[in-house]
Amino acid sequence: MVDVFTGESSELDLPSPPDHDRMQRERGLKIRSKMDETGIDAMVLLANANVTYATGATWPLSDAGRGNVERPVAVVVAGDEMPHLFTPYEAAATLGIDADHFHGPTYLDAEEGVARFADALAELVSSGATVAVDEITGAMHGAKQQIFSAWPPRSASDVMRDVRVTKSPEELALLRHGLWITEQAMAEVQSALVPGARQTDLTATFLHRVFELGAEANVLDPIWQVMPDVKAELPWTTHGDVACPLLTTERVLDEGDVLWVDTGIQYGGFHSDFGRTWIVGGEPSERQQAQYEKWREVDDVVRSVARAGVTASELTAPARAVFDGQDPWMAHFYLGHGLGLDLAEPPYVGTDLGERYDNRQVLEAGTVIVIEPVIWDEGHSGYRSENVYVITDEGCVCLTDYPYDPYGR
Amino acid sequence: MAAETLPDPEPLRVARRDRLRAAMDKHELDLLVLGRVANIRYASGVPVLWNAGTRPFGPGCVIARATDDVYVLSTWDEGVPKEIPHDHLFGITWNPMNYVEVVKTIAAELKPRRVGTDANSPLFAQLLPMALEGAEIVDGGPALRDARRIKVADEVDAIRRAVAVAERGLEKVIAEIEPGATERSLTGAFMDAMASEGVTTPATQDVVRVMMPSRHPDGVLAAGDLVRIDGGVVVDGYSGDVGRTWRVGSAGDYSGATELFRRGDDLRARLLEACRPGGRGGDLLEAYRLAGEAAPTRPVAYGLGLGFDDPVITPDLPLTAGAEPLDPGVVIAVSAVVADGHVGAVASRDVVQITETGPEVLTTSPFWNPA
Repeated sequence: MVDVFTGESSELDLPSPPDHDRMQRERGLKIRSKMDETGIDAMVLLANANVTYATGATWPLSDAGRGNVERPVAVVVAGDEMPHLFTPYEAAATLGIDADHFHGPTYLDAEEGVARFADALAELVSSGATVAVDEITGAMHGAKQQIFSAWPPRSASDVMRDVRVTKSPEELALLRHGLWITEQAMAEVQSALVPGARQTDLTATFLHRVFELGAEANVLDPIWQVMPDVKAELPWTTHGDVACPLLTTERVLDEGDVLWVDTGIQYGGFHSDFGRTWIVGGEPSERQQAQYEKWREVDDVVRSVARAGVTASELTAPARAVFDGQDPWMAHFYLGHGLGLDLAEPPYVGTDLGERYDNRQVLEAGTVIVIEPVIWDEGHSGYRSENVYVITDEGCVCLTDYPYDPYGR
Repeated sequence: MAAETLPDPEPLRVARRDRLRAAMDKHELDLLVLGRVANIRYASGVPVLWNAGTRPFGPGCVIARATDDVYVLSTWDEGVPKEIPHDHLFGITWNPMNYVEVVKTIAAELKPRRVGTDANSPLFAQLLPMALEGAEIVDGGPALRDARRIKVADEVDAIRRAVAVAERGLEKVIAEIEPGATERSLTGAFMDAMASEGVTTPATQDVVRVMMPSRHPDGVLAAGDLVRIDGGVVVDGYSGDVGRTWRVGSAGDYSGATELFRRGDDLRARLLEACRPGGRGGDLLEAYRLAGEAAPTRPVAYGLGLGFDDPVITPDLPLTAGAEPLDPGVVIAVSAVVADGHVGAVASRDVVQITETGPEVLTTSPFWNPA
């Protein structure tokens, strides 16, 4: 992991290289402490991110269709420091999981797979134990009497959400490196951005470069959405707000097109997130500069209040205040979202869960949030970018280290 | 891919909806509540944003048997076909209770007795009964499998297009194989080739791997290395795969590699022979046994369609494989993997359509040839 940071994230003192064993020991302690607190005896984890967290296993994520079938599954048993891993992927000695905790693949989409897994689980967990799960496949649902002592079963997602929300220095080091890979590749895409290129050509350059730089996988089909001047030129929406993100096609880019860029990759299991607005082959007008400056105002005010102990509402209120009382974000999304082993994860800031939810969301030190305001200027398109912040006791540190060009020059 | 996002073509939508309706009839499901991306597309014909990895369950599509209505989670109407009107779209929401309301509103008029879901979660196992009072909620998986396992002609064409893109990506990787290249740089070359064809969605991102006991820890290729290329892409929702093994450099000491390639050819021939109409998935496991080869950890074969499909044939599911009929219209990706602890491994993956008259191999990529 060799990377050079020029922004304020260089101030963070993060381990290089990160100590994998230490990271997993700490994750294990957090999980077992939470299980103890919530009275859960064992957890069966299917969600890719939860398996990575519990076991330290990472693999290049596949398309969801394949990922549902060829998926590693983890079983965490209270009182056992070592997780069990059922995986179709090669045994990685570096995981530090003993042979008796390392199992072959399990196929929980198949009735036979569930029956076999139930037998294996019975060997690991005593009958009558409280077992929590994060997902129930159709076949598990069909065999609910055989595998669950109670229906509905306890939720492992709640436990995992709580333990995953704050990141250790090791985790931040991995996450920051993923951001670095993303930004290096984006710099190449942006420098080659010319009228006449197709959206898919930008993807080709981006994907080629992120893999060369060591990405494990791409996690979001890169978005290069051309934003028109008025909403009416976008597809109809259920709420009347802008339609975004729209899928990438072979659309040819024209000079002056306003592009909203958004994507993420996987490194060390962590996802990166990148968002900027670009102008194809041109410079922003005064009006467009003003949109950008308003966006910076929102970002600055959020940055100035973000610190451990504040609630999500304490971020949304000043953001609204600088945007004439309106929400400077898309109605179907949020002002901000957590980032970690998932591209969008709790805490969420400014969703349709509403004020009561936001009032209860208290940011903790070590939480990573992506702040992604949108300044829509009907008649003149709009500006959208994303910055990734880690919350600290004193405030927050911006992990994004990418310029706003061609804006702000 | 075009310059705009369109729904899946109408004949394809109609053919799939017919199969799904028949499956709902057979399994007596009045309503299907779907969360899996591929199932949603199968039922609705709406392309959705690709992201990697598993997603938590949430209602993304609801299908009513009595009225043929399809309701879809989409905040906009791009890519939404004409038979799904605006009032059948429900927007992205972060509040699970909003999903309960959506399902409840749909169910209020239909009063379904049996409702199938394709997955579930502890949260929705609690919430869905609130929306579906009086209904029995069951595993909808068998109905979806019945619908999806046999491909209609337009689906096979879609798979062919995906296979062609994967094969051109493979060709690009092979052209760049040389000592000093890395697994990462070659994977990047595959993705570049794929996206340059207008396809931005891989099915697998584990594309290039040195299959040697002496593999360099950073995946740097050395002369004589055996390199597995496993290309998979998603085109218009459909998966196409191809796998080959190449040897770095053409001259020199083959140190047993030639024999390994020969074993791979023999196994592949036996596997393709086993893809007969009227056969069973278990015949592929038997092909491994008869060739004297150990079956790999990952599936010997899996169905292709909108993503991974049934059948999944692996020694870990012997009863399933034994019972799985290889009917005409089944399309599978078949893996021939042979290994020698000292030499390395040789793997290939081909896409095979079972037809009335026998297997039709849809992959056409060349094999490594020492000459």
